[in-house]
Amino acid sequence: MFLSKIWFFLIALLAGVALTVALVMPRPAQRRYIKEEQDRLAIACGVIDILLTDDARNRVDLAGTFARAPEVVNALESASGADKLDEARMKQVRETGEKIMAGISGRKPDFAMLIDRRGRVVARVKLDENDFGDVVAGRPLVDDALAGYLRDDLWAQNGTIYLVSAAPVIKRDATVSFAGAVVLGHKVTNELAQKLVASLDVDVSFHLGDDDIAGSKSLPLDHAKMQTALKAVANGDPARDCQANHPFDLHAGNDDFTAIVARLPGEAQSRQAYFSVLIKRPETRGFSGTLKAVTQSDLSFANFPWILVGGAFLLALAGGIGLMWVESDRPLRRLANDSVRLAKSEKERLSEDEHGGKYGSIARSVNIYIDKLGRDAKSARTNLDSLLGPAPEGSLGTIDLLAGALPPSRPGGPAPAVAPPPSDFRFAEPSSRPTPPPMRAATPPQGTPPPRPAPPPRPPTPAPIAQQPSPPLRLEDDILGGDSDGAVDPYFKQVYDQFVSVKQSCGEPTAGLTYQKFSEKLVKNRDDLKSKTGCKEVRFTVYVKDGKAALKATPVKEEG
Amino acid sequence: MLRALLVLLLLPSAARAGTIVGKLELPSAPERPAAATKGFLERVENPLAPVQALNVPKQIVIVVEGDEKPATPPQVSWDLLGNSFSRPVIAAPAGAEVVIKNASRTTHTLVAKEDAKLIPPGPINPTGPKSFRATDPGKVYTISDPDAPYLTGKLVVVNTQFIAYPDDSGKFEISDIPPGAYKVKIWYRDGWLERPDDSITVNAKGKTELNPKITSLASPPGAGKK
Repeated sequence: MFLSKIWFFLIALLAGVALTVALVMPRPAQRRYIKEEQDRLAIACGVIDILLTDDARNRVDLAGTFARAPEVVNALESASGADKLDEARMKQVRETGEKIMAGISGRKPDFAMLIDRRGRVVARVKLDENDFGDVVAGRPLVDDALAGYLRDDLWAQNGTIYLVSAAPVIKRDATVSFAGAVVLGHKVTNELAQKLVASLDVDVSFHLGDDDIAGSKSLPLDHAKMQTALKAVANGDPARDCQANHPFDLHAGNDDFTAIVARLPGEAQSRQAYFSVLIKRPETRGFSGTLKAVTQSDLSFANFPWILVGGAFLLALAGGIGLMWVESDRPLRRLANDSVRLAKSEKERLSEDEHGGKYGSIARSVNIYIDKLGRDAKSARTNLDSLLGPAPEGSLGTIDLLAGALPPSRPGGPAPAVAPPPSDFRFAEPSSRPTPPPMRAATPPQGTPPPRPAPPPRPPTPAPIAQQPSPPLRLEDDILGGDSDGAVDPYFKQVYDQFVSVKQSCGEPTAGLTYQKFSEKLVKNRDDLKSKTGCKEVRFTVYVKDGKAALKATPVKEEG
Repeated sequence: MLRALLVLLLLPSAARAGTIVGKLELPSAPERPAAATKGFLERVENPLAPVQALNVPKQIVIVVEGDEKPATPPQVSWDLLGNSFSRPVIAAPAGAEVVIKNASRTTHTLVAKEDAKLIPPGPINPTGPKSFRATDPGKVYTISDPDAPYLTGKLVVVNTQFIAYPDDSGKFEISDIPPGAYKVKIWYRDGWLERPDDSITVNAKGKTELNPKITSLASPPGAGKK
């Protein structure tokens, strides 16, 4: 069984390892999944930044195109020479701007500002159209445009964010001179946000401080967490926020998100303008979640090593069964066969050498018990011999006497062939009369009784005890005494009557044999035998030995 | 009545006051500094015309200091035009009242970086003024709007009331200067320029010409703290 135990231990160990792996494996996979999602978030953030940069390039080109329109150049050149700007001029320039705006294909600007070389707004288109004459010089974008640069910027005004671009207006006649600048503004809208993330499978939101400006999806976001994340990168280059910032968990509505924030550049940055990129946080997949995620194709022969798994299973099964057959079934069958042969008395003992391991131990234990029974039987016989004296020739042997106390079948085959010593006791009274059969037979002995001398001629069967007269008896050797005045035990009285009857039938004298002394002797012998053999009852049998009446005591272990 | 009294008091001194006129000799204009803010792209020069040079004279203040300290310094007015000050740098006599007038259509809240209590708190509404006094000569204050970091101006407190701002060509004039020896100091952007010809004697009558030659626009280290 040793190898079987080792085998089952290994199988259990493998099963434990497999279960542990099955339970643990989803965790690193989950971590990897989350990490990949975070990487995807950072990449999406970077892509949005690139798209906004590309959009800025297009907007700057558009501003340059706008600024090169001859009508704009002439209008601003004319306005720059005027000390004071009037409404008529404003309207004229505004109409010019509106015409150009109408001709723009694609995403049109949400406002345009036409500025003379002094930095004064000559006209506004679409936004604050009636305001003019104010100085906007001083804003970096305007100053740079008036100086001759093309550039972009982000303005935070009217509670929203504008992506602005500017270009200088240059008069190209005989001499080249600066006439002013044009500023175009594109509002950050939900449409722009949706367009930015159309192919990214993320969401983006634009924020101005604690206000949500626009987003690809309307989400009630936790601005405190986002502001905290912004502070972490406050000292770095805003252009690297997507790479430098760490994704963080964000709860919005009923959903959990992973988010990353990046500051928006330009003038709006001083007003805490930033954008956030969000992705739904992947659900935690445990063992059951992983099982649920398994598809039919995962279990196909092409994707799963069924042959390997099946082979391993069969190998484990065959190994276990083989080891059990070698170590358990075969020796057990051998022991069973051996036991059957023992039961059939085809052998006296189990073959200890044929059985190994525990089975050999069982065989040895059985053999030891058989030996013990033999010794006990011998010991019981010896005790009876000491109690009853040597058995008369031709009487039943000890084994015969004990047969009634022994189990009906005995292990180890038949009793030893050695003749048991006599274990009956008798009343020392010579007699030549034949021994009558016992009036009360003991349990018939099992097995083959030992050979014994042929009994003497059978005397005539005595009449039943009840019908026997009960003359006063005289016990000459062992039982002597007068009549008893005590209570009469029916059984002892019966034995006494039988004994007296047999003695009389054998022609022995019965004078002096009183019931009282007889019963006292029986009681003493019964008690002695009980204490020595542990039997519950002792039965006495009257028989004839050597022509004289004799009495045998038989211990009875079981009732009935 | 008070005005007439003031004219009478000033007449004697005006009668013996001189005038300094001159023109700055400036080196070639330095490159434009990097933009205060940047969008998604770096700014690029237009392909049609060279970028305009920096207006250096607009960032210069000429100060003439003598032994006589201003007893009743005049009020200094500083206009806020849209998103910038009319001049990026002004000088104010110590103790003079500085009045900032918001000529823009935007409300601004101005703060002195070096002394938060210099300017009374509260926004300056469009067309509205905000006044304060700078009493410590030699102090330089950087006035800005936290909501518009590009809106910045320097206030230099000096120990004289004879101050001039050159025009775009570099010409300047300081009138009503009592005759005597004076020291000329020139402030450019962030600090005083280091110059050898820093002394001038003003005549009682007529104009005294002063043509400061500025070889370098680089201020010595810590010049702004003098």
